[in-house]
Amino acid sequence: MEEWRRNIWRRILEEFRRVEAEISRMEDEFFRLMREAEERSGCITPLYNVYESGDEVRLTADLPGASKEEIGLIAGEDYLRIEAPCRSPLRGGEGRRYVLHVRLPAKIDPQSVKARYKEGVLEVVARKKITGYRIRIE
Amino acid sequence: MSEAEEISIVEVEPIQGRDLIFIEGFPDVGLVGAIATSYIVDRLEMREAGYIDAELLPPLISVRNEQIKELIRIYYRDRIVAIVSDIPIPPPMIRPLSQSLVNWIKRKNGKLLISVSGIPEPNRLDIEKPEIYVLGSRPEITEMLVRLNGANRFKDGFIAGIKGMLLRDAVRAGLDAAIILAQAHYNYPDPGAAGQVVSYLSKFLGIEIDVKPLLESAEELRLRLRDLMMRTDQVMRGIQKSKELELPPVYL
Repeated sequence: MEEWRRNIWRRILEEFRRVEAEISRMEDEFFRLMREAEERSGCITPLYNVYESGDEVRLTADLPGASKEEIGLIAGEDYLRIEAPCRSPLRGGEGRRYVLHVRLPAKIDPQSVKARYKEGVLEVVARKKITGYRIRIE
Repeated sequence: MSEAEEISIVEVEPIQGRDLIFIEGFPDVGLVGAIATSYIVDRLEMREAGYIDAELLPPLISVRNEQIKELIRIYYRDRIVAIVSDIPIPPPMIRPLSQSLVNWIKRKNGKLLISVSGIPEPNRLDIEKPEIYVLGSRPEITEMLVRLNGANRFKDGFIAGIKGMLLRDAVRAGLDAAIILAQAHYNYPDPGAAGQVVSYLSKFLGIEIDVKPLLESAEELRLRLRDLMMRTDQVMRGIQKSKELELPPVYL
């Protein structure tokens, strides 16, 4: 391959590596900030997922070591808040709490919210709030 | 430098014997492979016999009980070789690692390479006892695995990441390989699913492994593995792991 072509490829590869390193640095920063915040506050942010379908918003959160009776769940129009003591006897785990505050991708009807806690996973299902005018199709 | 040369597989104790069975549990869906393989290593009191190093690994060491540990360790006992990793495999390392591992196992005349993993199941919450799915590098292997204890066939789908590459490279190299998957939470550590795989493997290997202690410590394990799960989730996003929820296109 000609010298100038090799140089271009080398520069492109270098740029890729630089971008990759930058992304990895940002990810690491995210983990560090989350970890430090947890250590300072004594709260654990649980792993969670939010799913949005046509008429529902569903959230699951991994809360091992919590108990159904002690989970506090607050539903707002556009957020869910979960708090629960974590009873797992882990290193530094005593007296810790799970706290999760999630802004939802769509407005929900807070009175429609249903929740269950099964084998350490909390599942919250809410109906989307639909406001608008029905339009007749011509 | 060829791809395979970037990876070094180091035996601290010689790993040799006839009919060796290799089990890898690199972290991915639900950390099923990682939990199951580490549990087997622990229960069978396997010896640490080597490690895998690579330029592509982050400059990290594990320290456990004041002991310095490699990130990717190889354990050995009798005819079983187990590979466990403290971190998810960085995407640029997946292809060279897969090739090196397959070449290494081939040189050892390995009988079978088993990948252990989870199959993402959106309805996991409603499943008491996760099902096992199997796929072999040859139909005969799949057949043998299915007949054992009523496992399901992995018929259509995608397998992303190191597990998929290992199967592909094994097929290319003519090495017998298989993947054993349990229905699992996608990005929550799933010791229940891992327990199912361990039970299955214990039958396959003809070795008694009690899964009760694993299930009893499930809660604690899930909390302790939260960090690894988060890191693994991050890596899974980079390798289209969610593709496993899809089916390959069919045009006819």
